[in-house]
Amino acid sequence: MSALIEMKVEEARPTGVRQGLTEEIETTDMALFVRTSDEAMNDWDRQRIVDALIRETYVDLDTAKEIAREVEDLIATSKIRMITAPLIRELVDTKLVERGLEQARKMHTRLGMPLYDVDQLILHPNKENANVPHGPEATNLTLAERIKKEYALLSVFSQEIADAHMRGDLHLHDLGFVDRPYCSGQSLEYIKRFGLSLPNSIAMAKPAKHPEVLLAHMVKFAAALQSHFAGAIGWDSVNLFFAPYLVGMSDRELEQLAQMMIFEFSQQAVARGGQAIFTDLNLYWEVPKHFEDVPAIGPKGEFTGKTYSEYMEESQRFAWALFNVYLEGDGSGRPFFFPKPLVHITEKFFQTPGHADFLDHICEVASEKGNTYFVFDRGETAKISECCRLSFKLEQTDLEDARQPWKMRYCALQNVTLNLPRIAYLSKGDDTQLFSKITEFVEMAVRAHLEKKLFIEKLLSLGEKGPLALLAMDRDGSPYLRMHRATFLIGMVGLNELVQIHTGQEMHQSRQAFKFGLKVIAHMKLLTEKFGQRYGMRFVLEQTPAESTAYRFAKLDLRYHSPKSGHIVKGDISRGEVYYTNSTYLNNSAVLNPIERVRQEGLFHPLIEGGALTHIWLGEARPSKSSLANFVIKTFRQSQNDQIAFSPEFTTCNLCNRTSRGLRTSCAYCGSKDVDGITRITGYFTKISSWNKGKIGELRNRYRNDAFLEQREEGIVLKAG
Amino acid sequence: MAEIKGFLETSFVDWPGKICSVLFLPHCNFRCPYCHNHPLVFSPEQYSSISLKDILNRIQPFKDWIDGVCLTGGEPTLHRDLPFLIEEIRRNGFMVKLDTNGSNPEMLEKLIEARLVDFVSMDVKAPLDPFSYRRSAGLPIDLNSILRSIDILKRGMVEYEFRMTVVPALHRKEDISTLANQLRSGRRLVLQNFNPENPLDPSFKEIPPYDPKVLKEMEREVQGMI
Ligand code: SF4
Ligand SMILES: [Zn+2]
Repeated sequence: MSALIEMKVEEARPTGVRQGLTEEIETTDMALFVRTSDEAMNDWDRQRIVDALIRETYVDLDTAKEIAREVEDLIATSKIRMITAPLIRELVDTKLVERGLEQARKMHTRLGMPLYDVDQLILHPNKENANVPHGPEATNLTLAERIKKEYALLSVFSQEIADAHMRGDLHLHDLGFVDRPYCSGQSLEYIKRFGLSLPNSIAMAKPAKHPEVLLAHMVKFAAALQSHFAGAIGWDSVNLFFAPYLVGMSDRELEQLAQMMIFEFSQQAVARGGQAIFTDLNLYWEVPKHFEDVPAIGPKGEFTGKTYSEYMEESQRFAWALFNVYLEGDGSGRPFFFPKPLVHITEKFFQTPGHADFLDHICEVASEKGNTYFVFDRGETAKISECCRLSFKLEQTDLEDARQPWKMRYCALQNVTLNLPRIAYLSKGDDTQLFSKITEFVEMAVRAHLEKKLFIEKLLSLGEKGPLALLAMDRDGSPYLRMHRATFLIGMVGLNELVQIHTGQEMHQSRQAFKFGLKVIAHMKLLTEKFGQRYGMRFVLEQTPAESTAYRFAKLDLRYHSPKSGHIVKGDISRGEVYYTNSTYLNNSAVLNPIERVRQEGLFHPLIEGGALTHIWLGEARPSKSSLANFVIKTFRQSQNDQIAFSPEFTTCNLCNRTSRGLRTSCAYCGSKDVDGITRITGYFTKISSWNKGKIGELRNRYRNDAFLEQREEGIVLKAG
Repeated sequence: MAEIKGFLETSFVDWPGKICSVLFLPHCNFRCPYCHNHPLVFSPEQYSSISLKDILNRIQPFKDWIDGVCLTGGEPTLHRDLPFLIEEIRRNGFMVKLDTNGSNPEMLEKLIEARLVDFVSMDVKAPLDPFSYRRSAGLPIDLNSILRSIDILKRGMVEYEFRMTVVPALHRKEDISTLANQLRSGRRLVLQNFNPENPLDPSFKEIPPYDPKVLKEMEREVQGMI
């Protein structure tokens, strides 16, 4: 950036200066001092404007000089008492506008924030992402994000895509992290084999000898990765890959290690902007088929001479110990918010001894604390779920990579979400219109991905000296980030409302409406495949973790598509708590029992490879673990659902520090009113007081499986109790 | 036929290991001060009745998922035609669980002998002496009926559990071990935490329940006793 951008112009020696200003307007040595970004004082120098224009834009020297002089005149003649660098820049920009030099004006734009906004930001918590605590580190993050967001919209993406984002046709996620890919999945094998040798870091650690050291490497590496990705960091088969280090350890030692792992990851609140590392632990009771005969790596990064199938016992004991820790919860009995444990349920799971007890164990955690995610990998095809967003069938090349699991590194480069209700407003009930608009929107998302890919490739091309050194690092013949296996996510918000606008019924209200929803998603899936072939890229539909997007789209549609949208958005308009239904979900308040929900939402899952998940809200109820196990087995056998999680609700007391079941206004134990509700927001647990308005609206409407059926004249209706 | 006043389609809570629907039958001969179903139990006229046919139609499509139906209340055994209700449910291919306070051993025995119920959950209110029982049930109770019901269950003709709602104001720790000693039912005695939301006796609203950890500990203890 030019010195001028960061300059602050101040009057020095106030009285004398003003005099100088009026008298010597023709000279270039106005007695103004300019404070530069490196906190030095420079004299006013008109030439700096000229330099900046020449450096940053394509205007010719004469025009630049002319503009500089005009601006100088303006400053001199005006009675401005204090002048700042942004003001100078804006003045220059108006001169560019006057001359019709629009392109140059854009290139000369200054990014930043108004004083008022910064003030607000520093004083008030961020409600956009509940995962961000409020504090100096968090506000630093937000400030940086704001500027990078503007940068992204001006400079990374084309005007067309940027406008589509601003209008709310689509949402480009994590624009504040535009210079990073989205999320990453890997196994421990990479650090087990290569140790911890990060570019630009002085300390280099050889492959770990002891499990505690391996854990330390894992946590460090996760933190390093988190500062290179916008989203989650997922770990494959964590218990299995730890196993060779665990031989001979007692139950107590194992539990201690498990405790360390969970505490370490849940307490990394010193990471980026004070956020916890969004970590997913993928766990298996069995030894996954594709790892059975793979040579195991043990202490010092050496091959142990055994295959992974010989470490089943250690692997299982470690998985068990991890869930012991989840069951306990943190010091005050609250569930751990992170890391998320994803247990894969496969055919082989049911053939593996001890699976019934283990299922009971993880179901007890689901019932008591809600942590467990049940991931269903049906059939014989091997599947991998690297993180919450990325789950896919292993292709032939992946199965070859599985022989050398350190090669299995996957990432999603970006996440773009489409505003489906918008499409429906625009097509006014016309089928042909609707489907061609969908195509248009998907195509926009694809273009956004192409633009982002180009940008990331540019950063990566700077190699180990560039900003993404960690991802360019090459330890095994290919860079850490393997672009050819990258995924490009296309999410959606408000399928339910699209169907409602277009057909007059919400998806839970009739079979036809539901079928129409399926048709829309099938169409989108087909499109992603077509575009994938055209560009040689993997586009994948996903269920967006749309916590703020669902709110943003609803708000924008209230603005652009009233009055129609007023009848469509969910939540409470008068409170400003509006939202659209997430992704392909059915209306949150729809009175559907968990069976219907799992079955119906599951029908979408074969079309949606990324992050498909059905939540079962438990509310206050504390279910029997074996009843949940029963439900999990039936979901695996009798539905197409890819992933479920049970979500209890808690109230935690800030006075006595105890945690009780259900959402209450006061503590059940000490009666204190200083309480926080805890439940799952889209993908993870959090305190409700940190939610944005749209989410609070959704919570009010959540149906908690506690309905009573009542006989009414019009037939049977279910009423939420 | 017995009127049904409430219906929960799917429950993971009411029948250990099973997914069940729950039917609520009105009226009760007890007056437990902590009862939180009391509007349904004591003023059922406020609620419209639901026909069994509608309920069965509603759950039929979920037959692969729902294992059975739990009859609760109130006190279901007060309804003389309970066996017919159960037969109708069974005819539709669902198992049946009964929740009872144990005050009607005749009905209980009849249902078990006719193999109409698959699981019985009997609420035990306090140590088995008239004074304690009266305090917890809110009325003088004929303890003999309770004892007979316990005997019937312990014959082992049907799967069963004894369930005790633990209320700090009514039950001290010793009371729980006393009861456990009297029942001698090991793991079949389960403790349930009292829920202060909307109790029959409003003064119970102010009573903080036991810490779940403490309760779990107590349960482990009494389950270990033989
Ligand atoms: S036995 Fe007690 S708790 Fe149960 S319904 Fe009757 S009064 Fe309520
Ligand atoms: Zn408290």
